[in-house]
Parts: sequence; C-alpha cells; structure tokens
Amino acid sequence: MATVTQDTGRELRRIVRTNEEIKRVVATAFKINLMAMNAIFLAKRAGQTALGFGVLSNELRRFAMDLQKQMSQLREMTYGSVNTVTALVKQARLNRVLERARKESSGSGRSLIDEFMRTRHNLVFARHREQIAALNRRLSQMIADTAQLVELGSVLARSAKIEAAYGGAFSTSLMQVSSDFERTIGEIQRSLESLTKHQDATL
Amino acid sequence: MKTARVIYEDGKHKWIALVRDPNRPDYLIDSNEYLVIDDDDSLLLDPGGNEVFPAVFSALSTEFDPRKITKLFASHQDPDIISSLALWLEFNPQVKCYISWLWASFVPHFGGNKETFISIPDGGMDIMIGSQRLQAIPAHYLHSSGNFHLYDPKAKILFSGDVGAALLPPGEDDLFFEDFDRHIRHAEGFHRRWMGSDKAKRDWCQRVSQLDIEMMCPQHGAIYRGDQVRRFIDWFSHLEVGIVKG
Ligand SMILES: [Fe+2]
Ligand SMILES: [Fe+2]
Repeated sequence: MATVTQDTGRELRRIVRTNEEIKRVVATAFKINLMAMNAIFLAKRAGQTALGFGVLSNELRRFAMDLQKQMSQLREMTYGSVNTVTALVKQARLNRVLERARKESSGSGRSLIDEFMRTRHNLVFARHREQIAALNRRLSQMIADTAQLVELGSVLARSAKIEAAYGGAFSTSLMQVSSDFERTIGEIQRSLESLTKHQDATL
Repeated sequence: MKTARVIYEDGKHKWIALVRDPNRPDYLIDSNEYLVIDDDDSLLLDPGGNEVFPAVFSALSTEFDPRKITKLFASHQDPDIISSLALWLEFNPQVKCYISWLWASFVPHFGGNKETFISIPDGGMDIMIGSQRLQAIPAHYLHSSGNFHLYDPKAKILFSGDVGAALLPPGEDDLFFEDFDRHIRHAEGFHRRWMGSDKAKRDWCQRVSQLDIEMMCPQHGAIYRGDQVRRFIDWFSHLEVGIVKG
C-alpha cells in the first residue's frame, strides 16, 4: 500500500519538472518573436542588398508566431495538469491518513481498511492513472509537433546565415542576428529533447 | 490509538466516548469524540480533525462497525471538529452531516457536496437516531456564530461542544473529575477567550438549566456529572467573556 503514496509523489515531481521545462521553452519562444521583428527591421534598412534575408526574416517572423501559438497551447495544458496534480496531492494526503489508521487498527477495523484500500486503490488510482496517461499522450504529441516546427525554424535560421553573407555593409549585423536565432532555436531544441526524455521515461 | 469508553448504556441505547490518545503530538489540541448508538443507527458527534482520524477510527471500530457510520453531527465549523469529513466520506459517500445552515457552504471546503449536508436552522431541530429523538440545542456565539449542542433526553446527556472545554495538563486528564474548583481553573482561560458574547452566554445558561442533565460532555477536557453540571452553568453565567485582556 505504501507504494501508492510513493507513486503519487514520483508522478507529482515529474509533472512539476515537466511544467518547469515547458515554462523555459515558453520564455525562450517569446525571445524568438522579438528577434524576428528585429531581423525584419534590419532587412528593411539594408534594402536592396539584403532582399533574400528580408524574405527569410518574414518567414522567421511567421515561425515565431506559430511557435507562440503552440506555446500557449502547451501553457494551457500545463494549467490542466495542475488540476490533476491537485487531485493527486489530495488523494496522497488521504492515503497517508488511511495508512496510519490501518496501522493503528486491529481486528475487524483493520480488515475493513484493508478491504477498503484495495477497492479504493483499484478505483481511484486506476482512474488517476488513466487521466495521467491521457495527459502524457497529449503532451508527447504536442512536444513532437513543436519539435517539428522548431526544426523548420532551425532550417530558416541556417538559410538566414547564408543570406547574411551577401548583405554587403550590413553583413556583420545580419550575421549577428541570424546567429542569435540559431543559438536560441538550439536552446529550444535542447529543452524539447529533455522533455521528450522525461516523457519517454513514463510511457 | 484513542480509548473507546462506554459512558451510558441502556439496552440498545448507548453513548461511547473516544478519548485520550497517548500518541497524539502535542501541537494538536486534544479532542473528545462521541458516538450515540440506538439499535443499528448512530450519530458521530464532532468527528474530529484529519490528523486524529486514525485514532478515532481505530478506537471506534473496537466498539462499533464503522461501516454503519452514516450520520455526523458538527457542532460548528472548526478544523478540530470536522476536517476529517473527507475521510468519512471516503468510507461511505452517503454520509450525512448535520451542521448549522451558516456553515453549510463553508464546510464543503473540507469535503462533501450538496447532498452531504443537512442544515440546522437557527432555532435547532430534532434528529432521529434509531427510535430515539435527539435535540440540536442552539448555542450560537459560544464560540462559533452558528453553533449547536446536542441533547439526548433518554440518556440525559448534553453534548456541549466547546462549552465546558478544559485544557488539562498531563497527569490530570482523567475523563471524569472529582474536584470542581480544581478542574474549572483549566477551563477558565479557554472560556474567557473563546466565548464571544455575554448575552449569548446568558441565553444558553437559561436554556440548558431547563434541561434534565446528568452528564455534560464537552469536546475538550473532562465530563461533568450530576451536580457538577449545575455548578458549571452557575460558574459560566458569572464569568466575564468576550474581552481580550492584554
Ligand atoms: Fe471550536
Ligand atoms: Fe474545539
């Protein structure tokens, strides 16, 4: 019976860890949006000498907006998981008290709690496990979608770097902007990878 | 665990006090829970806090089948009274809880739903347990603003919630006491500070002095018997309450 509480604790820590990771991705994605706007502004100033970069910076801006949409969905899911976590915490607390009641009781009281906890375990925890499994499935799907989107962003950033070389007098600053892009997208990719790893560990 | 002590028994009618857990951590106030049984029916009075549930449950099950606990009575909304509600509901989702209408939407924060609570109107009400009619007696503002005691005319027992409560030092915590003057010293500070209204106090003294009471059972401390009940009412009626002394 003690494992029920332990499982809950582990599940809880995992959800909290996932949420923290998502928060990090969301914060980084916000930076991307600002960077894309900066790139568009730069391309406009460079004018004719950076036409190719201008096209790419518009693409990057669209990517940033898509990413932000994706992020707000992830954030919503995080919020949903808080409900599940709260229910789990409550159950875990009740369980701790029930376990103590079991230890203190003897005779018919004890066998009653035994029987009760068995049924309760089957009902309540099966339901919770299902909820968590569904949550994990949706999260995994969303992480995979996001990873795909970010992959596209990474290709765009690399192309921007190449276009920057043709930017004449603006070449250095364009190079700077596209390198920033590449680095930030790399950060998001690493976060997503570690999220996937947490997910895989549970599936 | 706590001890289950039969304090009244007449055929199928019974009162059990669940008291004194030697393992209770000292940061939790000690509480008495009472179970009124009539035949197969029962009413658990002030079932206690979450933390004392194991001690209450285990002691109770030595005397009574806990599956038959279907009715709870909460004198008021305090955590030491009713925060264990969610646990009782785990065992039996059909459990009903009698409580002042004032708290019927507050206490669900501890557990339960719309079906769980039976609101007691300000004037009180009768509660049938088996073939026995018990009376919820108004005790508002003593200390809670929506507060009830429970009178059993057959057993002549008044369950008095926080009224009559005493914070007994270790070694002086018998369930019954002999020396009123000595005992009441442990009750004085509690009543001065927790009881909020002098008028409510006088009303209550007036009301309960008309009842035939052989035992007065508070939620904390020791039980008053016989003449001690009358002495308590007299003492309480003269006590200055509702004032914080700095
Ligand atoms: Fe109280
Ligand atoms: Fe109390």
